[in-house]
Amino acid sequence: MFAEIRGLSFRYKNSSVDNVKDFNLEMNQGEVTCILGESGSGKSTVLRLLAGLEFPLNGQMQINGKILFNEDKFVLPEKRGIGMVFQDYALFPHMTVEENIRFGLTNLSKQEKTERIREMLELVHLEDYAKRYPYELSGGQQQRVAIARAVAPKPSILLLDEPFSNLDAHLRQSIREELNGILKDTGMTSIFVTHDREDAKSIADQVVILDKGETIGKGKAIII
Amino acid sequence: MVSYIVKIKGGVNLRSGSSIKRSFNLWGMLSAFFAALIILPNVDLFGNLFVQPNENWYHIKTYLLKDYITNTLVIIGFTGVFTVLVGSGLAWLISAYDFPGRKIINWALILPLTIPTYIGAYTYNGILNYTGVVQRLLRNVLEVQVSPKWLDIMNIQGAIFIFAVFLFPYVYTVTRAFLSNQSASLIENARLLGKNSLEIFCQVVLPISRGAILGGMTLVIFEVLNDYGVVSYFGVQTFSTAIFKAWFSMGDIDTAVKLSGVLMTIVISVLLLERGLRGRKKYSYTTSKVRPIVRTRLRGLKGFWAFFVSFMFLSLGFIIPVLQLLVWSTLTYKKVLNIAFLKLLGNSVVVALVAALIILGVAVIIANFSRLQENWVGKLFSKVTLLGYSIPGAVISMGVILFFVDFDRKLEWFYKALNPNSITLVLSSSVVMLIFAYSVRFLAVGYQSIEAGFEKVGKKFFEASRILGNGVTKTFFRVDLPMIKPAVISAFALTFVDIVKELPLTLILRPYNFNTLATKTYEYATDEMIHEAAIPALLIILVSIASVYLLNKLGEKEGI
Repeated sequence: MFAEIRGLSFRYKNSSVDNVKDFNLEMNQGEVTCILGESGSGKSTVLRLLAGLEFPLNGQMQINGKILFNEDKFVLPEKRGIGMVFQDYALFPHMTVEENIRFGLTNLSKQEKTERIREMLELVHLEDYAKRYPYELSGGQQQRVAIARAVAPKPSILLLDEPFSNLDAHLRQSIREELNGILKDTGMTSIFVTHDREDAKSIADQVVILDKGETIGKGKAIII
Repeated sequence: MVSYIVKIKGGVNLRSGSSIKRSFNLWGMLSAFFAALIILPNVDLFGNLFVQPNENWYHIKTYLLKDYITNTLVIIGFTGVFTVLVGSGLAWLISAYDFPGRKIINWALILPLTIPTYIGAYTYNGILNYTGVVQRLLRNVLEVQVSPKWLDIMNIQGAIFIFAVFLFPYVYTVTRAFLSNQSASLIENARLLGKNSLEIFCQVVLPISRGAILGGMTLVIFEVLNDYGVVSYFGVQTFSTAIFKAWFSMGDIDTAVKLSGVLMTIVISVLLLERGLRGRKKYSYTTSKVRPIVRTRLRGLKGFWAFFVSFMFLSLGFIIPVLQLLVWSTLTYKKVLNIAFLKLLGNSVVVALVAALIILGVAVIIANFSRLQENWVGKLFSKVTLLGYSIPGAVISMGVILFFVDFDRKLEWFYKALNPNSITLVLSSSVVMLIFAYSVRFLAVGYQSIEAGFEKVGKKFFEASRILGNGVTKTFFRVDLPMIKPAVISAFALTFVDIVKELPLTLILRPYNFNTLATKTYEYATDEMIHEAAIPALLIILVSIASVYLLNKLGEKEGI
């Protein structure tokens, strides 16, 4: 098993109940997993827990044999090697597209970095936009930059928070296909969160359904 | 992939804590250190409140204390009422009506704040005294004899006039901002219900903007309690003049500390009163729609009156004193502008620059720690930064003197080790003590601006950067700091100007023979050299105007 999450639970500071309860997940390398749920189901919280942005109450997680958290260990987000595409992209507004992608690249020579940036721009079809600032891009283009930025450091897992929520309805289908293409091209193991069954059906290999923090369904995408 | 697995080792954190935020040790330690530095002088002050009182104190308590309290309360009471009436009235006029000249007056009404009250005080005295332009005009041109008594402002009423005329923009700006964001639908409804303008002002505008008005008025009162220049120039006995007297004339710090203690009781009462009056209402209302009030157009005579009234306050608070200073400066520039003046300017700029930079550093560190920590420790540090602004300058000076003298005594062995002939009071006779006091007093000004900057940016960019492999500190320099740059610039402008204008702290804590623009202006004025004071005064005003202009520009750019 490439990645494994066991018994993950979490509670927000002012909450009286667990916002995530006993969450379990197994992933094979290159697999696309969808976490499906209404707003408030705890699905985005799960992503934040995996990324290291929240501190779990219980549970453990490992990727490729390496423990990211368990009872006595907690790896900081900057050391996890996990990529994340935020719901509103969080592109750094004071940096160009190119600088945004370069941001996460460390331990590479200057030439390797430039090469990697070129590869990424090609992957998301934004070769001509390297020098633009985020505010000069459309919503769809911004999302692709966010994906390129997250994928560039070769993370072990890519997390996507509601990747389609900020896009116009008529773009949804084409973006789905495009994202599907990008994920397949990179062979990236990924988890995305959505409230839309269609999203889940069209991209995911496996689906987990959350409701009020509890897993109420799990299986191959086809079953749903 | 391999490189990542190896890298993970370095980032392992033991799960002893309850929060991942435990890893901000360096930020936390620095914040705690700065917070301690702010609190310690106050602790010293508090500790010295209870030493055995001496003769001076008994004398003051028996014969003078009542006057200090009465004068102080009378001045803050009347100034409070006048600034509220003028400030909120003008805010309502500008927000709800359109009249000739409105646009210019709208922003120009902040200008009185660029004139420090002590400069306003001696300028008005110069205008109104026997040799001033008003009496000369009456005597020589109009040949009218007016008893000089009628034009004498060197008294408590005069002090109230000065404070009201130069400080009302505190109430004006806060109330105007509130009215323009919050109240459109309420006011339109009142109009539809057939209320006239005065009724709307009294029944709707004043009550709904109560919080904003009180906030502005509290700032005014703090300025008044902090003031030394106006009351000492006018010969009105208040706490700050009493503290100065105890310290400079009698060298009696114990009595000065006791007076500070009583003054702090007034400060705390004002704060509690503000809370109580504001009640549960906060600045913001629940309606999410922000739209401007549709302004009623005033034509003809009504339009003229609206212009006249607002222009009159602008003239009193800015145009008249500045014109007078300009005239005086043409009489004296040859005498005043020399090498010594450059030295003065240099002193002002250097101390303000150093203190403003220290404030920025401390504010940025504590604000960042506090927003990431999100618990009571963070909140506490954030509150501590606000401490200095409510404490009058004279009081802060006493705390800082106690703190530094104590510190110097403890370090005496060290000074002597470095230089056997060294004096004991090394730091407390240097400009270090003054800069320290500035930093404590004006930290709040810079902190609030930077905190607002962080709030606006939010945490998602911080989180994105963490996930992309940067720790807290690296993220701060690569992401947070560039993004809060406008807030840092405004924080710098605000603190720099406040320090250049500052008088009481500087008078008490400056090293021997060290003058700034502010102290020199004050010295000229008290030495009956009002005309000579004009150039340094104008320079201070110019710096303030430049900062107002800069903040305006930044505001426009940010779309505020």
